Amino acid sequence: MVYTRRTFWPLVVGIVMVAYAYLVQSGVLAGLIKFLGTDRHVGEMLILSYTFGGIAIVSGLWQLVAPPKEGNGDYLLSMIGGVVFIMLVAFIVKWGLDPLMGQWGRAAQPALGFNFASVLNLNYVVMGILAGIIIVNLFRVPDWAENGVRLSRLGLKTGVILLGTLYSLAELAKLGRLSVVLIGIFVLGSVGVVLWIGARRNMPNSMTGVLSAGVGVCGVSAAVAAAPVVRAKSVEIAYTIGTILLFGVLCMFIFPIIGKALGMGYIQFGAWAGTGILNSAQVAGAALAFQPNGIETLKVAEIFNITRVLFLPIIVLWLAVWYVRREAGAQQVDLVQVVVGKFPVFVLGFILMFALSSTGIFAPALHYQGAYFDNSEKALTSKDKEGKPVSKLLGDKDLDALRAEAGKVQREDQKVALGRLIENRKLMSIDDDDVLRGVVNAKIMSKASNDVLVKAHRAVRHTAKKIAKFRDLIAWFFTFGLVGLGMQITAASIRQAGGQPLVIGSIVGVIKAVGSLIVVWFLVAETV
Amino acid sequence: MTDDKFDRGSALTVFPSDRYEDVMALVLSLAIALLVYLFVN
Repeated sequence: MVYTRRTFWPLVVGIVMVAYAYLVQSGVLAGLIKFLGTDRHVGEMLILSYTFGGIAIVSGLWQLVAPPKEGNGDYLLSMIGGVVFIMLVAFIVKWGLDPLMGQWGRAAQPALGFNFASVLNLNYVVMGILAGIIIVNLFRVPDWAENGVRLSRLGLKTGVILLGTLYSLAELAKLGRLSVVLIGIFVLGSVGVVLWIGARRNMPNSMTGVLSAGVGVCGVSAAVAAAPVVRAKSVEIAYTIGTILLFGVLCMFIFPIIGKALGMGYIQFGAWAGTGILNSAQVAGAALAFQPNGIETLKVAEIFNITRVLFLPIIVLWLAVWYVRREAGAQQVDLVQVVVGKFPVFVLGFILMFALSSTGIFAPALHYQGAYFDNSEKALTSKDKEGKPVSKLLGDKDLDALRAEAGKVQREDQKVALGRLIENRKLMSIDDDDVLRGVVNAKIMSKASNDVLVKAHRAVRHTAKKIAKFRDLIAWFFTFGLVGLGMQITAASIRQAGGQPLVIGSIVGVIKAVGSLIVVWFLVAETV
Repeated sequence: MTDDKFDRGSALTVFPSDRYEDVMALVLSLAIALLVYLFVN
């Protein structure tokens, strides 16, 4: 079978990409880039557009000039068309639709009362899949791109392996014992319940597996991470994400109403939202809706949310073993043999990256998604343009501004943290930083003093460059994989899957929300 | 896209098996991790 097509389209796509890179480089598109707020992506715009555009032009010319001949060369060459086609769509999603949706969300916030782009999770993950679905259902994947589109799962698996670099064991160990126990029960319990119901209702193992991760752990990203583990079909991933988002949005509006009706405190509500709401974006939304003028609720909800994200490696491993056993059938099988033969190797890659990240080779060991606290002298010293050292310690004017308004701070912990900051000219601990973030958010002091607090916060909070690079790469691999997966979701395959996943996901979501409410109500006092 | 369109791999992948695809993803990831470790600072 000959795979390459004699078509000029890869050449056209390549020329478009290179032209775009040239326009960015020459500054012609500076206005558009500024409007979209994508300035920080200019570097990757140039590298990716020139690279993929160049590859597309060379391969496109080769396809036109050389007669196609069956063999490995033909097979490999034919994949390039699909890769550049997906990348073209991914460019539009990441550099166009994603920031544009963010702008529209913020613009509509005063009228709607909430940011619809944030609430509906309309980021590149969801829009990547939607773009793929629209292309395949309203138009079609062109013949010259079909072979390469089958590389999308490779992109997704690579992204999942690299995802392991964002987490660290030290961060998990640092979290409060109660949050770990509470989240552990609900995460593992939810996954277990979905697996049990799915098996009883004879749902496909792949569908049950991906739904359990989505409902149990942290929503969309967990579903995406678990999908290749259980060999989920594209339509099953789409169903899971749809269920999580629909249920999450409902929870975001209902949780604060119930929380206020029951007279819950900040910590109780934060613990409940962080446990019971399925998706991270909606956890933050519910916490801010419950306490708009402070961050105590948000902080607690974030701690619970982070805890469940950190359960992801455990769930991935569990699902891998569960899936292998289920697929092996009900008969007595040699588990070791089955695991060796069928266990998804890329899961080991994910665990390996998690272990490497925990050793601190990519960032200080105590990091979460690359962010860490460091107030050492070295970390607080940067260099100016001439290479002279510049200290980030607060200056005399900064301290005067804080001293002048210190009396406005009433809470004891905030007074102590502020005192320590004034005494040392820098924040002395993560706790002090968190406490003073509350002062900033509650706008207790003037803007000038708040700016000083923000300056002190920025001086001690750092993002590891290696992890930041991993995040960028993961985002690209996911976008590539999800656009390609979306291109495999047809209307017929959605009809075939039926509505069962939505029903089961909603049932488990309700059980989780009510169960966590009962547990939080009886176990969580106002201090964790 | 259906299986019979391709005589290599399946409707979902260009590789001969899932294990093959996993190993390729692993190799690719390790190469990327090494490059990031060496060159990003």
